[in-house]
Formats: sequence, structure tokens, C-alpha cells
Amino acid sequence: MHSFEFMEPTTLAEALRLLATHEDDACVFAGGTALLLAMRQRMMVPEIVVSLGRLHDLRTIGWTPAGGLRIGALARHGDVARSELVQQHYPMLAGVAAGLANPQVRNQATIGGNLCYADPATDPPSCLIAMGAEVTIAGPDGERRIPMRTFSVDFFTTALEPGEILTGILLPPPDPQRLGHYRRHLRTAAEHRPVANVALTARRVGSAWDEVRLVVGAATPSPQSMTRAEAYLAGRAITLDVAAEAASLVAEELAPISDGRGDAAFRRQVVRAATRRIVAEAAGLDWKETAA
Amino acid sequence: MSGHKLSLVVNGERVEADVPSNRLLSEFLRDDLALTGTKRGCETGVCGACSVLVDGDVVKSCLSLAVQMNGREITTVEGLGRVGALHPLQQQFMEKGGLQCGYCTPGFLMAAVDLLKRNPNPDDAEIREGLSGNLCRCTGYQGIVDAIRSTAEAGHGA
Ligand SMILES: Cc1cc2nc3c(=O)[nH]c(=O)nc-3n(C[C@H](O)[C@H](O)[C@H](O)COP(=O)(O)OP(=O)(O)OC[C@H]3O[C@@H](n4cnc5c(N)ncnc54)[C@H](O)[C@@H]3O)c2cc1C
Repeated sequence: MHSFEFMEPTTLAEALRLLATHEDDACVFAGGTALLLAMRQRMMVPEIVVSLGRLHDLRTIGWTPAGGLRIGALARHGDVARSELVQQHYPMLAGVAAGLANPQVRNQATIGGNLCYADPATDPPSCLIAMGAEVTIAGPDGERRIPMRTFSVDFFTTALEPGEILTGILLPPPDPQRLGHYRRHLRTAAEHRPVANVALTARRVGSAWDEVRLVVGAATPSPQSMTRAEAYLAGRAITLDVAAEAASLVAEELAPISDGRGDAAFRRQVVRAATRRIVAEAAGLDWKETAA
Repeated sequence: MSGHKLSLVVNGERVEADVPSNRLLSEFLRDDLALTGTKRGCETGVCGACSVLVDGDVVKSCLSLAVQMNGREITTVEGLGRVGALHPLQQQFMEKGGLQCGYCTPGFLMAAVDLLKRNPNPDDAEIREGLSGNLCRCTGYQGIVDAIRSTAEAGHGA
């Protein structure tokens, strides 16, 4: 690996100042699990590495009944998975964090680094979008807050401007009427990263749903909301036929990527099956009853 | 470029060192401290041969920088047990055929320590999940799973 200057600011203001001073020569370092791979392959060659490791305030997870959950950007996947607050109030997210990658990576990789790197083959982004998350971003001119939906922009691209630092993730207070489900699919059981995933949340209204959010991740350059299926599912009594129709709409709307984990046609079929299953599952139906 | 003063605890002993910023933790342990039990395998975070404990949590030392370890406590396989006084997991790996060539074994042992710390009585599915960050090309895993299960059954989990 090339040599670089490793800096460990102890305040957010100092970290922002270092980024402003060194501009393109500097980059942020959180857990390092993505960055070290990129640096060893010389895809990134920063001269100044600004570690956030001493910004302990960014590691905490807090909850209030009125404000909801705030996860510091430096919380590791394992911290999110093991947090009693997350387990109790946002079990969908706790499950996603506990099931991604492997135990070692969950103990060193941060959720903020996951979102900022914007590798499509990841789990939290689609889940957080479906949960209506927002993110907070600190920059030279103060802090801003934007929906997670607009943070993931494209393949390895986010809404972060140069010199900005992601500080946290906000989730609205849990709504007892909102159901949440997540499915991830791997190419083989020995793989870690998903070839595709689907996140679904919706509000129960009687026997139907409204405010449906159906988001596909890992199959597209950045997570994609399946707007046609969302509209179709709203207000309808969910049956296995309805689940199959929603899956067809998703398969039509999806523009999948092709890469080493699978080509676009394969991903389209995986997402179609995943959608049918997740919709059925969320409605308490057994998707194994019919073949699809 | 920049040298960094490091002060940390490795296998219970205080270590002071000067390291370049681009030194990986796996290199620091093997090349600077001669703790060669920690292996370098894929060096991309997949195989788990380089697994060590940092403040009790299993991590991949090939995905960590030595400079991140200032003030931390590291345990490598050398800190688990020694000849004549093996760790219960080491004893069970031997008895149940949990290894053949041995290259992956230190990493599996460290992952197993972390697993049993969090879950002293795992079922087989939980054991396999806990080992999902480690690859073995000799045993077919069954002997490793058996070794961890029998360690837990003997009450050495926590
Ligand atoms: C073997 C392996 C398997 C994996 N499997 C999965 C999986 O199944 N699912 C999944 O979702 N992910 C998976 N990952 C990816 C993993 O989750 C990410 O590598 C990790 O979350 C990145 O976080 P980090 O703290 O290590 O980031 P770093 O490597 O420190 O940083 C990554 C990037 O984000 C930037 N950055 C980091 N934090 C901030 C911040 N707060 N503000 C601004 N910029 C920032 C850095 O500058 C860098 O460009 C896997 C990784 C490995 C190595």
C-alpha cells in the first residue's frame, strides 16, 4: 500500500477543517473495510487519511418516543444488530444488520461507511429507504438533513459534497401499524454480499395496506423504489395472485445491473421471486402454496 | 511517510511500537511482533485466516491498520493457550478433527471464541453462521462445528 498521513481529529469541527484544507488529497476513514481494499488496489490513493475513530459521539445510538432513532454514522453493523433499542423498536433493521457480511466485518465496518461508499452490493440502503430514514450531513457551512432516498444517487455515488461528513441516520418513531420485511438473496450460500434484496414496509389499514414502500437493492446501481408495484399494492386486499402481479410489475420496472454476481436477466428473476415472497409473507400468506 | 507511536496490549502484555501509517494490523503482528500464528490468506476480508480479537471482538486484521489499535487490547491465537495448557477449543479441535493442514485454524479459533462469548450454547445453525467469515479447504467444516459444539456442551462457552 502507498504511504499516507494518518490523522485522528478529536472533534467534528477539526475533521471538517482537515477535509477543507486538504481537499482532494484527503479522504475520510471510518472502519476502513472498504477503503483499505480500494487503497491496496490503488483505486484510491489519498495522501491524507482523516480517521473518524476518535469522534466517539458519532458512535452512539439514541432513541426518544417522539423523535425516533438516531444512529451515529460510526456505529458498526454489530452495534446496530446488538442494540436493544434497535431490536425493540426497529426489528427489521436489527435483522438486516445481524445478517449482512460476516461476524468479523460486522465488528469493524460502520453503517455510515456502508452508505457513503455506495457499493450497490449492500443491504442497509434499501432497508433504510423503505423505513423512511433520513441522514444528517455536516459540512463547512453547518449541518443538513436529507431523505436517505436522495442520498443514494448512483453506482458508488452519493449526495455528499466534497468536504462533507455523514454524521447520523434518523428513523421516524415506530408506527405500530407499519409492517416491515426484508429479504436478501445470495448467489451461493458461501457468498457474503447480496446479488439482490427487497425491502417492504406498509401501513396496515383494515385488511389492506397504504403508504407502501417497496425498494430493491443490490440489483441496480443504487436502490430503486418500485413505484408501480407500490401504487398497485395500496388499498388492495393481498392475495397470492396480487403478490404475483406485484412481482410482475417489479420485474417490468426494474433495470438490473450485470456483473460477476449475476447478469441482468438472472437478477430480474431473483427480484421477481423475492417480491412475490415478501409480499405474501408480509400478508401472512404461505408463498410456497403456488410455484412461481 | 509519517511514523506513529502505538501503545497497546497484545496477549496481556503492553507493547510500545513505532509504525508507519500504512502498516496493516496483520503485518504488524506477524512481521514486527513475530506472532506468526495469525495467517495472511486472501487479504481481502473473505477467508478469515487473519482473524484476531480487538477488545474482545473478532475482526479481520488484514482489513485494519496498526495505527487504529492505539490503546486497544489484542488477542491472537498465541494468547489463547500454550502447549500443555491448551484452550478448551484448541483441545476439542484436536479431538474432533477440526483441522488438517492447520492454516485456517487460528482464524477459526478466534471466531469461535467470539461466538461462544456472545452465545454460550449455540445450535449448529448458529455455529455455522458464526463461522461464516472463515474458510477451510480441508475439513468440510463438520469437525470444526463438532469441536465448537462439544466445547459449549462441556460448559466452556462463556
Ligand atoms: C468480506 C466483506 C463482505 C461484505 N458483505 C457485505 C454485505 O453482505 N452487506 C453489506 O451491506 N455490506 C457488506 N460489506 C461492505 C461493508 O458493509 C462496508 O465495507 C462497510 O460498511 C464500510 O464501512 P467502513 O466503516 O469500513 O468504511 P470505510 O472503508 O472507512 O469507508 C468507506 C468509504 O466511505 C467514506 N466514509 C466513511 N464514513 C464516512 C462518513 N461518516 N462521512 C463521509 N464519508 C465517509 C470513506 O471516505 C470511504 O470512501 C462487506 C465487506 C466485506 C469486506
